[in-house]
Amino acid sequence: MAAPMVETADLVVAGGGIVGCAVVHHLAQLLPPQTRIVLLDRGPIAGATSGSCMGHLMVTPDTPQEYAFTATSLALWRELQQQEGGFDYQPTGALYLADAPEDVELLPVLQRQFRDNGDRADILDPAQLRELEPGLAPDLPGALFYPGDGVVLPMAACASMLRHAQRTNPNVQVRPDCAVTGFATDGDRLTGVRTAQGPIATGSVVNTAGVWAPELTAMLRQPPLPIHPRAGNLVVTGHHSTPIKTQLLEVSYLRFAHGAAQVDPTRTTGDPGGHAVNMQPQTHGGCLIGSTRQFRGLDRTLNRDLVLRSLARACRYAPGLRHAPIVRTWVGLRPYSVDKHPLIGPWPPVRGLWIAAGHEGLGISLAPVTGRLIAQQIAGVPTAVDATPYLPARFLR
Amino acid sequence: MNAAADPGAGRVLDADVGVVGAGPAGLAAAGSLARAGLSVVVLDEGQRAGGQIFRQPSPRVAGCGAAPPSHRRGRGLLAAFAQSGARLCSGVTVWDARPGRLWFEQAAESWLVRCERVLLAPGAYDRSIPFPGWTLPGVVTAGALQIMGRAGVVPGKRALVAGSGPLLLPTVAALLGAGVQVVAALEASPRSSAWRALPGLLGHGGRRAEAFWYLRKLLGARVRLRSGWTLFGCEGEDRVQRALIGKVDAEGRPRRDTARSIEVDVVGAGFGLVPSIELGLLLGCRSRCDPRRGGHCLDVDGEQRTSVPTVFAAGEVCGIGGAEVAIAEGELAAAAIVKDLRGVPVPPALAVAAARERRAADRLLGCFPPLPGLCDLATADTIVCRCEDVRLEQTRAAAALHGRSLRAIKVGCRAGMGPCQGRICGPSLQALANGLPGQPADLPVVQVPVKPVRVQTVLDAPRG
Ligand SMILES: Cc1cc2nc3c(=O)[nH]c(=O)nc-3n(C[C@H](O)[C@H](O)[C@H](O)COP(=O)(O)OP(=O)(O)OC[C@H]3O[C@@H](n4cnc5c(N)ncnc54)[C@H](O)[C@@H]3O)c2cc1C
Ligand SMILES: Cc1cc2nc3c(=O)[nH]c(=O)nc-3n(C[C@H](O)[C@H](O)[C@H](O)COP(=O)(O)OP(=O)(O)OC[C@H]3O[C@@H](n4cnc5c(N)ncnc54)[C@H](O)[C@@H]3O)c2cc1C
Repeated sequence: MAAPMVETADLVVAGGGIVGCAVVHHLAQLLPPQTRIVLLDRGPIAGATSGSCMGHLMVTPDTPQEYAFTATSLALWRELQQQEGGFDYQPTGALYLADAPEDVELLPVLQRQFRDNGDRADILDPAQLRELEPGLAPDLPGALFYPGDGVVLPMAACASMLRHAQRTNPNVQVRPDCAVTGFATDGDRLTGVRTAQGPIATGSVVNTAGVWAPELTAMLRQPPLPIHPRAGNLVVTGHHSTPIKTQLLEVSYLRFAHGAAQVDPTRTTGDPGGHAVNMQPQTHGGCLIGSTRQFRGLDRTLNRDLVLRSLARACRYAPGLRHAPIVRTWVGLRPYSVDKHPLIGPWPPVRGLWIAAGHEGLGISLAPVTGRLIAQQIAGVPTAVDATPYLPARFLR
Repeated sequence: MNAAADPGAGRVLDADVGVVGAGPAGLAAAGSLARAGLSVVVLDEGQRAGGQIFRQPSPRVAGCGAAPPSHRRGRGLLAAFAQSGARLCSGVTVWDARPGRLWFEQAAESWLVRCERVLLAPGAYDRSIPFPGWTLPGVVTAGALQIMGRAGVVPGKRALVAGSGPLLLPTVAALLGAGVQVVAALEASPRSSAWRALPGLLGHGGRRAEAFWYLRKLLGARVRLRSGWTLFGCEGEDRVQRALIGKVDAEGRPRRDTARSIEVDVVGAGFGLVPSIELGLLLGCRSRCDPRRGGHCLDVDGEQRTSVPTVFAAGEVCGIGGAEVAIAEGELAAAAIVKDLRGVPVPPALAVAAARERRAADRLLGCFPPLPGLCDLATADTIVCRCEDVRLEQTRAAAALHGRSLRAIKVGCRAGMGPCQGRICGPSLQALANGLPGQPADLPVVQVPVKPVRVQTVLDAPRG
């Protein structure tokens, strides 16, 4: 009797969300075409958070480091659009809207942040705002327009990345409905993964399991990764119903979304949650309306109360939305990392284990730069951006 | 502003029982409940009560064509309902539900029904099977064509009716009643199916009379119901002008060598019905998959109670069965609710009658088994999801890359993401995309709103 054939791979990427797809995309470009790369997902490709989110490609100017990281990623998104396309890329820019007087004061602050990074953003008075977006309420005091942002359809982007990867390297395999169920190790070295469809012998695994990344490392008896699900409720309206053309956010969004959480993220009850308006036109003419944030574990039931509050705010800015038909609502889980930076790089206690997870509300924006950064680390070539702030080892100290 | 503290500008109705659907099941139940002294609110999407089968013709065309015997029963049901004191809200959309709560939109208004018990009788949808040209103007579902026929507003003069199951006959009859020529009537199941259905029909008083009435109608107009034939596709410039028809094998696979073209200007295609279970799923009711009864149905006990103790279900939502089943189950559900709220025991005869009707319906439908081969009608560029304009080849590419589940196909190509939320394409989407004819569809995940409603309606919804 022949010995059972065990599948082998040079690299296994565990988790087929936007991050896993971007990792595969860049590995395929950087490593020789005979490298065997297997992407596994427990469910569909792009079926979890990356199929339940918005597709705002966002440059965040809060610090020079963040600006560089997000702006580099946006450049890579534009490159993917050139290379492959097929994901409804719209370079709409972003409008940061003010309502209350204290919001108006934030506009020049945000403008200065963009300028300090050598970029531009324009403050619009009410007349200019109406000209750009006639669907907005006539009494809004002003806004900041940042031209660099864009919008994509994330699920289609995952497919585009994988198509490009498979053309570049025919040894890239994509396997949905194939969960990682365990690992094989030899001392502190990874030697393989167990999957729902049999074992794979491999010396390298990239954990791209989003909010489930801690589950995977727990299978290796590692200390818990500091990533916690942060729920977001979304609403989408019917075709040809959007009163707006630009990606819109409340100017307070940045502080709300990227500022320190006011509650303990490890608790799954007791967080009342919050919201800041985020409205995104879709290519079919519908409008995505977010965005809420709440820690409550992996619970994906709709929080009707938070949805109502964000809808009310959205109608404050774009009154025409009141008449739009709601087609569906749903909940996605952002992978929140406790220090608000993603974890990208090796996990030193287990040789051969890499992590790319914890992007909270910026995973779509940051997927390409993440994919390239970890691919460069794995390939052992100099990284194009400074890897230090993102190294997972910072949580081992 | 704090919307959370705002109670919502909409209005509230209090009742003992909230009923969704004014078809045979809902009407029979609501009448019984009201006669037992309970306050009842019935919510229905149609402009007039009656559901799919007993929908009253609009006053404008009243008397258009004679009605089959069952419609006398329907008129009786409607009259009894009208006198029962149950309150009917028609032209409304129920969009959210929780046990004891039903939210609905009527015109531009937002309403909440607060009740002790909910009865779901939302009926069924036509099962669509995509074929080339099914999106052309002039091509509609058999059910829609039947309704147009009864309303006397058929958009054509030469009709083709094709599909499978007992509903083709009433569609043909409605067209004849409206004075439309029926060029062909095609039943995809083999002739033996129809013969096997006969004893079931003849052994059941109501169905026998009904079947004879329809057959007489067809004979009178010299329309032959051809078994083992179906519609391969439709063609036309701005609307349907020709249909390609031909024979199918015992599994429904088209035999292309038999294809021939006929001139028609309106086509009704109906391949059975699919239970409308979304509200039940939203309420957390357990479902089960029974391909013979149309796929996923709500699971009920011997007294029509779902797995959620205060929620009952009756009629097609518990599995396709027809009007007789719907009436019997509606009456049984009403009795069970009266037992819950008034302590009056359920008359055993009602449970016996409902079970008997179900058995008879199961036997009849068992003669028209699903025909997986009909999946072969669609070609690579046939649109599968009408809402999002997704073609068969795109669903195949999505399944190949993203995975075989309904969710995977949906995220992979947007099929089922539009306003109908997969109600039209969902039941056959997975089998088509995976190239696995006969593969049962995953249970869809439903979310609020179960049907599209305006943002303002949601904002105004009374809390509670
Ligand atoms: C409401 C909302 C709005 C958002 N809007 C934006 C936005 O506008 N712009 C932006 O940039 N970001 C946005 N985000 C954030 C973004 O969606 C996430 O950061 C990103 O999708 C995370 O991607 P991921 O690949 O890490 O995770 P996921 O997409 O969740 O992928 C992880 C995958 O791992 C798989 N997996 C889990 N366990 C296993 C196992 N044992 N074996 C195999 N596979 C496994 C899962 O099935 C899943 O597919 C939003 C998020 C939400 C919730
Ligand atoms: C198009 C069509 C034609 C049919 N023709 C025949 C026929 O000729 N003979 C026959 O025996 N059977 C026919 N049937 C089958 C028929 O539905 C059943 O025999 C019987 O009517 C079942 O009764 P019901 O009460 O379960 O559902 P239905 O009669 O379908 O009644 C359900 C009612 O609930 C309403 N409703 C559903 N969901 C909602 C919601 N979310 N909000 C508000 N209202 C809602 C619908 O508008 C409908 O009026 C047909 C079915 C369809 C779909």
